[in-house]
Amino acid sequence: MSNVISITLAVEDRLSEIVLRTILLQSGRSYHVTSCIGLSGFGYLRKNIRRLNNAAEGMPILILTDLDRVECAPILQREWLDVPQCPNLLFRVAVREVESWVMAHRTAFAAFLGIRTDLIPTNPDGLDDPKKTLLGLVSKSRKRDLREALIPMPKSTAKVGPDYNDQVGEFVIKNWRVREAEQYSASLRKAFHAILSFHPFHEGVLCPR
Amino acid sequence: MIVSRILLKNWRNFRHAEAELGRRMFLVGPNASGKSNFLDAFRFLRDVAKPGGGLQKAVEDRGGISKIRCLAARKEPQVEIEVHLSNAHDQKACWKYAISLKQDSRGHRRPYLDYEKVWKDGDLILNRPDRYDQKDDRRLTQTHLEQISANYAFREIAEFFESICYLHLVPQLLRHQNAFSGPAMRDDPFGRNFLEKLAQTTEGTRKSRLKKIEKALQLAVPQLKELSVTKDDAGKPHLAAIYEHWRLRGARQQEEEFSDGTLRLVGFLWSLLEGDSLLLMEEPELYLHTAIIRRLPGIIWRIQAKKKRQTLISTHSYDLLLDRGIGGEEVLLLIPDKEGTNIRTASSIDDVRVLIESGISVAEATLPRTAPRDIDQLSLFNE
Repeated sequence: MSNVISITLAVEDRLSEIVLRTILLQSGRSYHVTSCIGLSGFGYLRKNIRRLNNAAEGMPILILTDLDRVECAPILQREWLDVPQCPNLLFRVAVREVESWVMAHRTAFAAFLGIRTDLIPTNPDGLDDPKKTLLGLVSKSRKRDLREALIPMPKSTAKVGPDYNDQVGEFVIKNWRVREAEQYSASLRKAFHAILSFHPFHEGVLCPR
Repeated sequence: MIVSRILLKNWRNFRHAEAELGRRMFLVGPNASGKSNFLDAFRFLRDVAKPGGGLQKAVEDRGGISKIRCLAARKEPQVEIEVHLSNAHDQKACWKYAISLKQDSRGHRRPYLDYEKVWKDGDLILNRPDRYDQKDDRRLTQTHLEQISANYAFREIAEFFESICYLHLVPQLLRHQNAFSGPAMRDDPFGRNFLEKLAQTTEGTRKSRLKKIEKALQLAVPQLKELSVTKDDAGKPHLAAIYEHWRLRGARQQEEEFSDGTLRLVGFLWSLLEGDSLLLMEEPELYLHTAIIRRLPGIIWRIQAKKKRQTLISTHSYDLLLDRGIGGEEVLLLIPDKEGTNIRTASSIDDVRVLIESGISVAEATLPRTAPRDIDQLSLFNE
């Protein structure tokens, strides 16, 4: 029989979905993403986390959310889920945003923007506002198309540029390597290792590897 | 060139409204608030400017001035449209065109110009009625915009208006062309003759566009391959593609067999790729899956960015407006009132601006405002 692990993703946005799918693919394990839910901010995830925890009794679920302003990941996890976590639920937190993970593959990200690698932060998890830092780096890029796609127009209330998700997403799919990135982001490393070592339960029985 | 500002007076739902426009704008508002009527102001200018068009025809096609005029209009009966054209949204207007219409108070109720004005770089270069109009008031039944012999000094804007593009493709019309016989509508706004338009495009351009469309369609309908335009024995054009299934070669399908969503997406993408002038779109989300709708703003932006073209999009879609790349300044809220509909840029409303700046999406910040006020009472419909 195959060792395929069918898994459902629950994420805040498209970029998080792309990053998770890429990690699962690069893990070398036989993950099969059955569906991806959420994609409308953290509110949905937070509201539904107990339901997702219940659902995880029947199928593996991988949640990824951004830490944002919360002090640290364990506090967020406790605040969100105050009942015992189902072993089939992988609940991961990007510190502070998934953008930290994206930037953590420093050489590839520098090449994507066409800037020097030493401009990319060596501790992306320590950044207060990773999206802002990322956009600051984009503004240093000489690639005009990229700047126009990723950075909001002057005076805009938009948080990101008009083609942010697709362009950054494309970078992740094509050039981002989790094994490189995990060296610079502790939260990514923990998430990746959880994905590498995950064994789904079915009806209380640990599945054979 | 883009329309950077529009002012409407007594135009359909709008007794007095004005809006600043950027390269990409989303119109949101309750049903019957005037989204289509707002877009129609641009179509009206196109209808006046285009060959075979003209003021009389444009008004007649809309049922006369009394149909165009805002129901809330009272003392001042004239209908006015003014547009400012700029090279970019944050630049000063290089052209302004303003038109005001009245109709004969008796007889044929023929529409005539109350005024027609053109400014170039701030200078008034056309100001009608002029002395010739005063001598011969029949001249006021035509704009200078529509006359090649009279629009020499501002041909640029006449051509701009003429090339304004509108598409609200209705898949059923395209699929069952024969069932909807009868005279075609001018400019085919609902895509009944969309296939003829495809067939008339030069082969190279058509192939290159269809290739791009096919690539984009991969997102939505990955089974669909080799999109092309073919002609049947009677010379009638058809949209064809291979629909892959369990058989090795797949099945050859034509537009009759395409799904509503596929047809609408093809029409939507084609109109994006066609031309580089102002594009007006009605509810591009119709018939499409949520996951596709969420990607439309990015797709629209990517295609228009290369062409520097402007798009005005009416929508009710929460998913479309979820995109974090949409700024509050790109959303126009149409707010109906007894005295006609008002237009506000979402970011100019303090509450909305605060929400968006706190990280709430444009969808959450604006759409609840456009819901009917007494929505709960819909339960009254229950017997």
